[in-house]
This record gives sequence, structure tokens and C-alpha cells, in this order.
Amino acid sequence: MTSGLILVAVVAAGYIAARIAVGALARRYLIVSGAEYLVLGVLLGPRVAGLISASVLDSFGPLITLAIGWMGAVIGSEFHLKRMLRLRGELYQVAFLEAILVVGIVGGALFLLFTRVLGVLPADAVAPATILGAIAVTTSSSGIALAARRLARDRTARTPLLHQLQVAGGMDAAVGILTFGTVLCLVHLPPPGDIRPPTPTEWAVIGGAIGVLGGIVYHLFLGGERDPDRLFISLAGAITLASGTAAYARLSPLVPTMLIGAILANTARNRHEIVQVLHRVQRPLYLVLLIFAGAAWRVPGGAWGLPLVAFVLLRLFAKPAAARVATRLSGMSRVIGGNWGIALVGQGSLAIAIALNYRIFDDSDLSNVVFTAALVSVLATDLLSARVVRAVVRRHHRRRLPLAAAGAGAGPPER
Amino acid sequence: MRRAVILLVVFALVELLRPLGSAGYGSQALLTFGFLILAAYTVGEIAAALRGPAIVGYMVAGVVFGPAALATVSPEALTRLAPVSGLAVALIAFLAGAELRWEELRDRGIALLKVMSAELLLGFVALAGTLYAGRGFVPFMRSLPAPQAIAVAVLVASIAIVHSPAVTMALLTETRARGPVARTTLGVVLLTDVVVVLLFSGTLSLARTLAPGAEGSGVSIGTLSWEILGALLVGVILGGAIAVYLRFVNEELLLFAVLVAFLGSEVARLAHVEAVLTLVTTGFVAENLSHRSRGEALRHAMERSAAPVFVVFFALSGATIDVAAVVTLLPILVPLALVRGAAIWAGTRAGARWARLPREVSGNLWLGLVSQAGVAIGLASVVAEAFPTFGAELRTLLLALIALNQLVGPILFRRALVRSGEAPARPGLPSAVPAPSPPR
Repeated sequence: MTSGLILVAVVAAGYIAARIAVGALARRYLIVSGAEYLVLGVLLGPRVAGLISASVLDSFGPLITLAIGWMGAVIGSEFHLKRMLRLRGELYQVAFLEAILVVGIVGGALFLLFTRVLGVLPADAVAPATILGAIAVTTSSSGIALAARRLARDRTARTPLLHQLQVAGGMDAAVGILTFGTVLCLVHLPPPGDIRPPTPTEWAVIGGAIGVLGGIVYHLFLGGERDPDRLFISLAGAITLASGTAAYARLSPLVPTMLIGAILANTARNRHEIVQVLHRVQRPLYLVLLIFAGAAWRVPGGAWGLPLVAFVLLRLFAKPAAARVATRLSGMSRVIGGNWGIALVGQGSLAIAIALNYRIFDDSDLSNVVFTAALVSVLATDLLSARVVRAVVRRHHRRRLPLAAAGAGAGPPER
Repeated sequence: MRRAVILLVVFALVELLRPLGSAGYGSQALLTFGFLILAAYTVGEIAAALRGPAIVGYMVAGVVFGPAALATVSPEALTRLAPVSGLAVALIAFLAGAELRWEELRDRGIALLKVMSAELLLGFVALAGTLYAGRGFVPFMRSLPAPQAIAVAVLVASIAIVHSPAVTMALLTETRARGPVARTTLGVVLLTDVVVVLLFSGTLSLARTLAPGAEGSGVSIGTLSWEILGALLVGVILGGAIAVYLRFVNEELLLFAVLVAFLGSEVARLAHVEAVLTLVTTGFVAENLSHRSRGEALRHAMERSAAPVFVVFFALSGATIDVAAVVTLLPILVPLALVRGAAIWAGTRAGARWARLPREVSGNLWLGLVSQAGVAIGLASVVAEAFPTFGAELRTLLLALIALNQLVGPILFRRALVRSGEAPARPGLPSAVPAPSPPR
């Protein structure tokens, strides 16, 4: 079967299956759709049915890179400073601390596991352990968004906790992407030819420059364009070029495209139109990304079970623990409570994007362990992430009601 | 102008980064693809500001950044981006079919047939005659014996009379023209596309008989019938399936639009049926069977997903133009192009008179039929493979002629649309003739 027909068959089958089987359940039981595409990809991939062969995967490489880059731009477009400044600064402080702590806990523990238990050389273990930390910090933003939409029907949505979760979701994504981007700079291979290989700092500057210069250049390029079709062409060109340039330089497309998204969201007069165009294309690319991520999976060699289980358990422990510590350190316990970190355990597409991006650059056994861990974690947590968020917010709301009645409630999260 | 300066900055940055990278996992193709979108879009905007069609700008960008000039787009990247062209052709064909209404075909089908047959007949005879008469000026035809020279002449003529559904649809999308000149041009172009497949197969069989050393055998009636009827059959099935989807699901139209285009072209390839005709039929059936608002929603989603693909398609077409060959062959190309233009003018005039079309249509129609693109390029490649002895030179001649018509055709068509008041003289202005509401 030809690669084109395979893509059509896969996406069509996936879409119909998801719509019929999961769509109805998702609406009724607040289930986040996405993980089923991963399973579909695994089933159709070279390890099971073999419908998507390795060569097909390779031929769709540019599309996968573009999907990763597009996701970065969508995440970046959420960082609208004007809107962010309406919320209390402490929410960001808490979110940042939580994110850093999770990267530290998970990354550090896995580094020790790789070096002390599995006998991996420290130099070889730094990258996979830190990337697992970066993956661990990411949170299912669709789970939070879905729960927020559902909670908006009643007064529960007005709790500061929901704002905290939304802020934490964005912060987790930014920290995860930047950590991953930094690691790729540290382990960057020298370029071909006789030129002096850039240092990790220079690679980081190059990656940032692609994003910052790209953002400025595309801001000028787009101007005040409001026609959706012309905007789509320009944005598609900009994100494709930035993703291609980053991938060509063996850097993650997520960092530059996130910067481009953020710059455009904050500087463009046509911000709403840009965000609309970005979101409109995101879903089809997201489906393709998940399916091909599933197909790219292969059983890791060696003692891979231990780090896998360790990653999932560490993350389940680190998220609530880090959130509790961050809340206490910021003095926000009375406002948002201490147990909200459980709502962040859901993992979604960004974890897959980071893991797949790492696999593209490094096809070693350890990168495959990282990829498998991300896959397992998403499968285990994404489906029910919205339900968990809703439960946590409702419980917090119920606890706050007596306090509010007694006049002891905290002020609103908005300034 | 601002965008052109920005493009130069982007170009400089890309070139600066080139030594640092490696082309793994299709990253170079992606980089090229992104740059080509921006470059073609910018040059297209400049062309539009100069009151020319944007697609000419796209093609000029392809020539400038292609292997013939700055070589930002390498031949390898062109090969890797070939599926984009395939997708573009499929989307264009679907959109072209979706533009046609059953009521319109019923009412004006005979008129379109009359115009097409007069134009094709005159064009074919004139071009074949000119090439045979002027064979002394064509390097590879000078030494050919008469039968082979006749074979080459009819083959060139059967390809040179092909029009371009891609250019027609791209310009109709760009200008949003839907008046009588626009719709008649589209109808004739699509009908010609069907007839040319038959005609080309016939002339190829004749040429194989006349010219010894040809590879492969003549095309059988059965194969030919399947190619046409099979395309209609596959198109009807696909179109029906789409109508069902729109009726019961009607979601994720952007994704669905791209899938339809992929699926249609792949099924056509596997079933050995004519791909463009398959997609045209699919679009026609889907649009005419669906509820008006749903059909329009799908068409709009397709137009949106096609927008960047169109830009790259025409830029890639430009990048494949062999500028050196066009310049070398100019002495024979210019007369051929002039004869072709004159034959199209005379043929459409005669056909329009026969069909009693309004004067405004008959006077402008020929300008919309000069363009050539995808289908003609494909047929030229078939000829090159079939005749190893002189096929390569013949292909170069045909591609040079197509390139010339490709660059001139859109300018003429836009002029026709502006002259008839169906497109505004400058982008953004309203046109004098508004688009008619479709009969339902």
C-alpha cells in the first residue's frame, strides 16, 4: 500500500473510531480524547499490524516535525502578557516553583536510577534523565480546559484554584519545552564540514534567535493582515520555516515556534485572528502526530521496565508534592489549598511531542525508554485528566464555602 | 515592499544557518517548503500590487529561488515536495468539480461542447501543421523522416492544446470571479481535460505506429474506456460517500478536505483511472448531492487548506522551469505560442458564434484558455518515456512551450476577467459583475 493511502486510511479510521467509540463517552463522562490515537498508531505500526512501515514513518518526517512546531506556536500564543497580568503574581510564583521542583525531583531521581542501578555512564544518563524530568512536568492542558468549560456552568469555575491550574498548565509547558531545548543544545552533535562546532550556549542562542528573530520578522511580515486565508498562508509559511530551520540545525522546533507564538500573540494587532488560525490547524496535525507517535514506538531493549515504572510513580508523587511545597513557600495555602497538585497528573500531547522529538534526534535504547515512558504515562493519565481536575476543583470549592461564609475567604485571583 | 525586504532578511538568515545543519528526517524539505511559501506569497503580493495575477508571482519566485537561479530550492527538495504538487492538483480538481452545478451543465452543456470542439479542432490542426511545416527550425526534427515528423507533430499538438484547470481555478479563487466568462472558461477547460485524455491516447498510438523504436504498445480501447468511465465511476462513489459524510457527520471539514484529496488521487492511481477527472467528478457529485450550506462549507474548508498548497504548487512549477532551454528554443517557441494563441482565438470565436454565446463571453473566452500546467507536463513526460530516441528533446520543447504559456496565460486570463467586469481591476475593489447565486 502506498504511503499516501496509508495516511488517509489511518487518519480516517482513527477519526471515525475516535468519534464513534470515544466521542460519545468523552462528552458524557468527561473523558479527554487523544490517547486512543496513540493506541491506534501502535496497532497500525511496524510492531503490530505493519500497515505503517518504517519507510512510511520516515516519509512523513516533515509532517511530524511541523506538527511538533505547530504545537509550540499554539502553546506560545497562550502567553498573552496583558491577560496574564490580570492575575496575581503569586499564582505564577507557585506554578514556576512547582514546575522546577518536578523537573528536579524526577530528573534527579532517574539520573540516580540510571547511573547507580542500571550502570549507565553519568555522561550518557544526563540527557535522558533531564528530558524525562521535562516530560514529567508537562500537564494535560486539554484536560484543564475541558474541566474549566464544564465547571463554567456553575459557580465552581470562579475559584482561584482553577486559575492556578490554568497558570500551572502554561508554566509547566514552558518549563518543559525550555528544559528539553536546553538539553538538546548540551548534547548537540557537531555540524558536518570543517567549521568550528558551536558551543551549547551558542546553540541555545541560535535556537532562541530563530524564535525571537522569527517572531519579530513575522510580526512585521504579517502586519495588520486580517483576512483568514492570507493569514493562514503567512502563518503556515512562518511556522513551517521555523520548524524546518530548527530541525535542520538539529534543535527542537518547540522552542523557536513557542517564542514566535508568544511574540505574535503579544505584538500583533490581529492577535485573535492569529490564535484562531493556529487553533484551527492544530487538531488535524495533533491527530497525525499521535498516530505516528504510536506507530514509531518499539519495545525498548534491556532492563527498561524499572525506569518506566519509576517514571510513572515518581511523577505521580512529584506533582502533588511539588505543588504542596510551592504553595507553602509562596504563602498561598489559604487561597488554593495544598492538594491541587493531583489535578496536574494528567499528561497530554506535549509529553508525546517532546519524547518523539527526542527520538528523532537520538535513536538509542535510552531515548526509546524515554519515549515509552511518555507513551505509558499519557495512556495512563490523559483519559481521565479532566475528571480529576473537576473533582479537585469541586472539593476545593466545597471546602471554601464555609470559610467564605465566615468571611475568611481570600480575595479574587484577578487584580 | 516591506515584505520583500523581510523576505531578503529571512533568505540571508536561512543561508547563514545552512552550514550548521544536516538534512535528516526531511528537515531540509520542511525548511524549503516554509521558505517557498513565504517567498512565493511575497512575490505574489508584489505581482498583485502591479495588477498582475498572484500566481505569476508564485511562479516567478519558483524560478528565482529554484535550481535555475539562486538554488535555495534544490532538486532533491523538489523531489521530496512532489507530493505537495499531487495534493494541489487533487484539491484543484475537486474544487473545479464542486464549482459546476448540474442545472448549469444541463442548460449550457451543449454550448460548452460546441465551443470546445471548435477550439480543439482548430488548435490541433493549426499546431500540428505549423510544427510539420517548420520542422527545419526544430533541431531534433530536421533529420526525421516524414512519418516520424508527422508523429512528433501530432503528439506535440495533442499536448499543446491542453489547458490548465489549476491556473483557471487558482485565478477564480484569487479574484472570486463567478460571472459568465469565468464559468464558461472553467466549463471548457474541464471538458477539454476529458477529451484530451482520449485524443492524446489516440495520437500516442498513431505515433507509435509511425515512429519505429517506440517503447510500449498502443493504448487499447478497453484501457482508454476504463480510464475515463472508471474515473467517472470512482468519482461518483467517492462523491456519494462525501455527501453521506456531510449529511450525517459534517465535522472536522479541514482535515476531511485534505483526506478527500489524498484519497481521491490515491484511489485513482491504484485503479488506473484518470486522476483529475476522478476528483472533478467527486467534487461535482459531492457538491450537487449535498445540502447547499454543507457543500459550501466543505468547499470553503478546501479552499482554505488549498491556499498554502496552491502557493507552493505554483512556486514548484516555476522552480521546474528550465530557463536556459526556454531561451534556446525561443525561435520556435514564439511562433508556436503565437499560432496556438491565434488558433484558440479563432476556435473560441467560431465556437461561441455556433453556440450563440453573448459577445462579451466570445470576445474574452480565448484569453482564459492560453494557460498550461500540470496535465500537460505529465503528458510530456509520457512522451519522453515512449520515444527514447527523440523523447528527451521533445519533452524539453514541450516544457519550454508550457513554461511560456504558464507565465503568460494567467496574465491574459486576469485581463479577460477584469475586462468583462467579473474581477476588480485592483485587489480589494468590488467587481462590476457580482457572482450569481447558484441555481438550486
